[in-house]
Amino acid sequence: MATIRRIVLKNFKRFKNLELEFDPELNLLVGGNEAGKSSVLQALDIVLSASRSKVESLGLETLFNAECISEFLTGGRRITDLPELLLEVYLEGIDGHHELDGRNNSKGIDHLGIKMVCKPVDEYTKEIQTILSEKHDSFPFEYYSVHFQSFSDEAIFPYKKPLKHLLIDSSQINNEYATREYTRSMYATHASVVQRNYHSFEYRKVKSKFKDDVFKEMNDGLDAYKFHVRTSPKANVETDIIITEGDIPIDSKGKGRQCFIKTEFALQNREHALDALLLEEPENHLSHVHMHKLIERIRASVRKQLFIATHSSFIATRLNLKKVLILSEEHPSRPTSLKDLSGGTANFFMKAPDNNVLELALCKKAILVEGDAEFILMDALYRNSSGGASTDTDGIHIISVDGTSFKRYLELAQLLGIKVAAIRDNDRNYKINCVDNYSDYTSASIQIFADKNDARYTFEVCMYQDNKAICDGQFAAGRKTLTV
Amino acid sequence: MDKSVIFAVAGSGKASLLIERLNEQQRFLIITYTESNYSNLRYKIIQRFGYFPGNISLYTYFKFLHSFCYRPFLRLKKNTKGVTFKLPPTSERFPLTNDRRFMTLGRRLYANRLAKFVEQSNLVGDVIARMEKYFDVFFVDEVQDFAGHDFNFLMAISAAKLDTSFVGDFFQHTFDTSRDGNVNGSLHTDYNAYVARFKSAKLKIDTESLKKSRRCSKSVCEFITEKIGVTIEAHDDRESIVKYEDDPAIVSAIYEDSKTVKLFLKEHYKYNCYSQNWGASKGVDLYQDVCVVLNSSNVKAWHSGSFQGINPETRNKLYVACSRTRGNLTFIPEVLLKTFKRS
Repeated sequence: MATIRRIVLKNFKRFKNLELEFDPELNLLVGGNEAGKSSVLQALDIVLSASRSKVESLGLETLFNAECISEFLTGGRRITDLPELLLEVYLEGIDGHHELDGRNNSKGIDHLGIKMVCKPVDEYTKEIQTILSEKHDSFPFEYYSVHFQSFSDEAIFPYKKPLKHLLIDSSQINNEYATREYTRSMYATHASVVQRNYHSFEYRKVKSKFKDDVFKEMNDGLDAYKFHVRTSPKANVETDIIITEGDIPIDSKGKGRQCFIKTEFALQNREHALDALLLEEPENHLSHVHMHKLIERIRASVRKQLFIATHSSFIATRLNLKKVLILSEEHPSRPTSLKDLSGGTANFFMKAPDNNVLELALCKKAILVEGDAEFILMDALYRNSSGGASTDTDGIHIISVDGTSFKRYLELAQLLGIKVAAIRDNDRNYKINCVDNYSDYTSASIQIFADKNDARYTFEVCMYQDNKAICDGQFAAGRKTLTV
Repeated sequence: MDKSVIFAVAGSGKASLLIERLNEQQRFLIITYTESNYSNLRYKIIQRFGYFPGNISLYTYFKFLHSFCYRPFLRLKKNTKGVTFKLPPTSERFPLTNDRRFMTLGRRLYANRLAKFVEQSNLVGDVIARMEKYFDVFFVDEVQDFAGHDFNFLMAISAAKLDTSFVGDFFQHTFDTSRDGNVNGSLHTDYNAYVARFKSAKLKIDTESLKKSRRCSKSVCEFITEKIGVTIEAHDDRESIVKYEDDPAIVSAIYEDSKTVKLFLKEHYKYNCYSQNWGASKGVDLYQDVCVVLNSSNVKAWHSGSFQGINPETRNKLYVACSRTRGNLTFIPEVLLKTFKRS
């Protein structure tokens, strides 16, 4: 089965450099807004489509990294420093295609793969020079060329693309163009070339028959000019087909249902089936029940490589936390993989109640607390002890965790290098419960905090003892009786 | 694994032998030199299978060299812009370690040094590995045309662990893939020395399989063996007419005859008749009777009774021209066609 092994991006959108290694089955791309999840899916879609018109319609100025452009414009503005855009997709599992195999890639290794290169055309460098010498701030994108090539330096055209893929973007679910592209792709995966030619031929015949039979009377009454039904690249089987469920076109269903149907249909395993499916935030528009169903379908999918960009902890944990790739907003070129997470921890999160794993994974500093009381009071306590600063302004996330699962979260924090203060009860034995218990986890950036006095065995006990006067005043039995 | 080079005579069925060995299971790499032979093989492959099977890769030599041996490894690194068939200017001298020895200032690769460039870049091992990865069987047709660096390169890659058959006819050597100074300059001057090069590359020499011509009659074969000095045997006992004709009326009639091809040493396009050049007629298998046009020095050779003394390259071309015929072979002097010649 053809799979995508790795992607390398240079000067693409927010990535000056990015290299991501992929799992052959499932890849969950996680990150905050603007971390570049969608950009990774888009890059895969662009290269795998090998369509120049697609790139041209997006516009080079939207694809180029803005920083490299402005650095160039404010720098020496030399022709030799003109930035190039490079998207490389390294492939595996395709036999007998030496036209894909070569070392014309940025790593200089022998590998199967295709790439998009976007660079200034040498023949235009003189014109570019003239433009650059005028000191204005527009970049000469018009003098750039776009090429799709294999790693053996052969040109790649859409009909020659080595791997079948489909991008489903839930934010575009009602978009007419996206729907047509989807329908067309699904049609192509379900009908062989021979079948498609047959369909197209028969469709043309039926239209002609319709004209002959139904329009006959009307046309017979006309002399020179007659009516016919259109047959053209804009009106043929591929433009006219729709997908239905129970005879109802799916594009007249609700967005959530459309998302679900489109994804489920694409996941089906067929002979000419897709090799790779790219899903952009599949959780959008989906109810909880449908999300569960969708996850079940995705889990059951075989012989397809999946790429899912998501914000949802639920999707990430339920599918497999080990397959998560985290893209960071601050360091876009340094993604983290959770593949080294222990199997036990990944399994735990797959089964544990709804949780905030991604909140922890995406933050830099966190305070882990053990219960609702701690969670509610922590913000106020933080403000008191930090001289008025709030957790929000300091970028600290407070995450409430079930006491027994502290270690699972700490493992994740350890792997991701997140600074964590975990606050827990000593449960009447500070040394065993709070020190020895976590000896494998604590470090300069991970510390456990608890009361050292075994008699003060829970947060509530401590709060009460330290604030006895107020508490007694607030909660004393006498207060319940009105004095008047 | 079998590796051999088969020395064939004209019309003995070189192409047919290669085509017969093809199947739809193994992965075949077939290389030939001329475009005309490429089309010929392509046609025969489609004729045999009804379509062009996906397991067969047919390349002309320079396409193979550039797209299979050079580009996958070096194109990006060297930023070259294709191949030029112009020769490197003799005024420029660059050492082997300088890329400019192998390409123009505009970074177009010199075709005649491309094989050397691949070798100089230490890629022969990588090319062999790539061939072994993607193919099981390696055929080279028209092997006699490999010259210069290309011959060395071919010997080097013949080490690939593939079933290997090279087919060629030493005496049909009329073109060189390329030349570079005196690299392999005397490769084709001595038949025995030529054979020894293949032996030292561990190829078995097969002079039996294709020693008989199916195309040429016994009479034509005897003529070629005696008068041109290239040993060729006929497959059967067919007789045909080999003659010299200098009756102007008959010569004109032959000239006008659109069924008999007129083969010229060069510039056949200056005559408005069914014609071709001797060298370019190589590989062509569609003539019945052939008329070979002799220039004045070759007319002399005819009258002296032997062509063995003429320039070796011209002699090879003459051999190619004479061996095109299935039927009769007629020689005419070019002077008698003077009136037809366009300037």
